[in-house]
Amino acid sequence: MLHIKCPHCGLRSQNEFAYGGDGTVKRPELNKKVSDKEWDTFVYLRKSPRGKHTELWHHVSGCRQWIKVERDTVTHEIFKTAKVNEDI
Amino acid sequence: MTAISSLQHVHKKGLFGDYEDKDEKNLIKISEVTNLLIVQIVQHKGSNVSLRGLKVGELNLSNEALKVNFNNDTRILWNGPNNWFLISKNKELLKNIHKTFNETDFAITDLSHSRAVIELEGENTKEVLKKGCPFNFNELHKNTCINSIFNGITVTIDMIEDSPNKIRLYALRSFGESLHHSITDACLEFGYKNI
Repeated sequence: MLHIKCPHCGLRSQNEFAYGGDGTVKRPELNKKVSDKEWDTFVYLRKSPRGKHTELWHHVSGCRQWIKVERDTVTHEIFKTAKVNEDI
Repeated sequence: MTAISSLQHVHKKGLFGDYEDKDEKNLIKISEVTNLLIVQIVQHKGSNVSLRGLKVGELNLSNEALKVNFNNDTRILWNGPNNWFLISKNKELLKNIHKTFNETDFAITDLSHSRAVIELEGENTKEVLKKGCPFNFNELHKNTCINSIFNGITVTIDMIEDSPNKIRLYALRSFGESLHHSITDACLEFGYKNI
């Protein structure tokens, strides 16, 4: 069981959160022409790092906000959390 | 409003659980609270309106996490950034809220019919909640609130008093029956009185 420090609510159990995937993926700019390959990369291609990973989590049973979490995928240690519009 | 009880066929008055040979004063008291005005107030993302000048009755909206602003009739719970949950015995307040909060800046939703409200009172209240909710209740103080889960049911928990502990649980009306069963089940070992 992880304990995640929500930047809005404080330390909470993982049970209150939903995992939201890789937090480093950036959507191609709106209205910009995008090749099939770029779109495919954005939608499907993900790294699967062993070690530090920046992730998105949704505090779905709390403040309902998306947050960023820097977590070690091996030890599950959480180093930092931040609001979704902040750099981590 | 919530005048029509969501738990009328579930909440039976009386003593239950391990109540024998115990002083009735020390039992957990469980009641359903009805007839409340429950309103969600959300400030739109693009809104630049300052919260300072906006008052409901005499209460301000505060963006301080977990804080409850309150007076005799009304409690305003922090529900998330720019998101509040107002509970009041005064149903006339809704008109005041619509006047105070401009539609272009705030979304006002009347949730009065959509919640089941259960109130727990007694020394062991936090022990009961610890059984189904992962929150560290040692950190829940008087006039603070949290959103969390109880046995998988999303609940808002408002700590009204701390001597003895008095806590209100708000859940979606459709989950009211399940929540009531979960709560009363967790209360059995302490003995409880449904009032």
